[in-house]
Amino acid sequence: MSKLKDKLSSREFVVTGEIGPPKGVDISGCLHDAEQLRDYVTAINVTDLQSAVFRIGSLAVSCKLVERRLEPIYQLTCRDRNRLALQSDLLSAWALGIENVLCLTGDHPAMGDHTEAKPVYDLDSVQLIKAASTLNQGQDMSGHELDSKPSFFLGGVVTPGADPVEPQVIKMKKKIEAGAVFFQTQAVYEPDKLEDFMNRVQGFNVPVIAGIVILKGAAMAKFMNQNVAGITVPDSIIEEMSDTPKEDRKKQAVEITARIIRQVKPLCQGVHIMPLGWDELVPQVIKEAEL
Amino acid sequence: MHATIQKPIDEITGYLRPGEKVFVVGCGNCAAKCHSGGAPETEEMAERLKKKGVEVAGWACTDSGVSLCKLAIVKKMLNETYQTETEKADSFLILACGQGIHTVMDATEGGMVHPGCDTIFGGETVTDDFITEYCSLCGECIVEYTGGLCPVTLCAKSLLNGPCGGAKDGKCEVDRTRDCGWQLIYDRLKELGRLEEMDKYQTPKNNSRWSRPRSLTMVESGATFKSLAGELSISRKD
Ligand code: SF4
Ligand code: SF4
Repeated sequence: MSKLKDKLSSREFVVTGEIGPPKGVDISGCLHDAEQLRDYVTAINVTDLQSAVFRIGSLAVSCKLVERRLEPIYQLTCRDRNRLALQSDLLSAWALGIENVLCLTGDHPAMGDHTEAKPVYDLDSVQLIKAASTLNQGQDMSGHELDSKPSFFLGGVVTPGADPVEPQVIKMKKKIEAGAVFFQTQAVYEPDKLEDFMNRVQGFNVPVIAGIVILKGAAMAKFMNQNVAGITVPDSIIEEMSDTPKEDRKKQAVEITARIIRQVKPLCQGVHIMPLGWDELVPQVIKEAEL
Repeated sequence: MHATIQKPIDEITGYLRPGEKVFVVGCGNCAAKCHSGGAPETEEMAERLKKKGVEVAGWACTDSGVSLCKLAIVKKMLNETYQTETEKADSFLILACGQGIHTVMDATEGGMVHPGCDTIFGGETVTDDFITEYCSLCGECIVEYTGGLCPVTLCAKSLLNGPCGGAKDGKCEVDRTRDCGWQLIYDRLKELGRLEEMDKYQTPKNNSRWSRPRSLTMVESGATFKSLAGELSISRKD
């Protein structure tokens, strides 16, 4: 039984983490990252060829988490598989003990390290969510009966900081109608913006888990502002980080992350912490955020 | 219109075997508009090849405004008007799209053909020197719901139900100089007062209508479109 589902349905505040599978066959490093999160998060996202960079798959790593009694949120993107492969991977996931699935569009191959790959996108994220919930009902996309059915806990993503945000809200509503029952967001650093967004989607009545990337320094924040859509790290935070000597950066990262979590906590039903390798900071963040 | 761009000359000469006599064929319609294979470019190609030591049997181009992909016209042009030259040719170099290449093959009953152009997309001739792509020929048009703008073509991921999270300042994640197709669609629907169209769930594409090769047969009262989705007959008279 999905703990994530339990907690979200009983309106508890949840913390989720994230690990990125490596480029190679030795997954001990990312499993170590996951272990560090064990006592602090309800579930751990496993990214699917993040940034369209070729790596070991999210299905295998999610399965390894299940073996270790850690709860994965299996990320599944539309970039690399057609509807046959997507539905089949979903059934495989269920058979391997995976219950939480986060359905995403996926970064375009042009963003990654195989720029000549064929972008598939046979389904978009709304259609993928619908396909997965159709499997939950015991049918495939063509209307054929399955001989046994899964019961996935299905999530979608949304970018509260997108400008304009209205198309994101429209698509979020379509995802809910398609069967998404929880949402994780792109990283947010401006509680005001999240509040505006939450006001817009209040009537949707679905749990929203706000994303936060642990900032490793001013340079990273500036890079994200320039290059990552829908993320704005306010100047005040960048200034705060700009004079910090290297040895104090982790301490400061904890402080800033914890502060933002405290600010967004009343607005949403959870936080999704993306440590990007600084997983060892997560326990301290959670402590300082008083979660 | 089918947009084409000439292949590099060295790639073309690389196709030709020693002593091979080639006849150059151009198209008076699309390739002429792209300056990749109209009459001037076809004649020029014949000259460029000769300079590279290639034996050129001659050249021909359909009349201005006439497409090379019309079999009857090409048969007449190659087998009658230019019969003396084409009889001497071992092969044909086609400065036109892939349809034109095949039309020459049909017209010459299986003649050896070489592609002189890359066929890059079907597009709108916006100005005399700019063509851009607005349709991917998917076989099932949905622009009724997107304000006339095609998400299959204008969105880098061909998303049908709204934007991904990758757009920044209205530009697409794959290329920050390119407009996000969904930003364009959203702006246009808003302007038209039809934003509610975006709320509608768009089903996944029926890719069997996109399966190639497809064909169209015209009859007096309509037409029949044949694809892996089966035969679709539409009457124009109802
Ligand atoms: S929906 Fe299909 S037919 Fe319509 S413009 Fe787009 S690609 Fe062309
Ligand atoms: S940024 Fe816009 S055009 Fe580019 S893939 Fe995303 S939705 Fe499509």
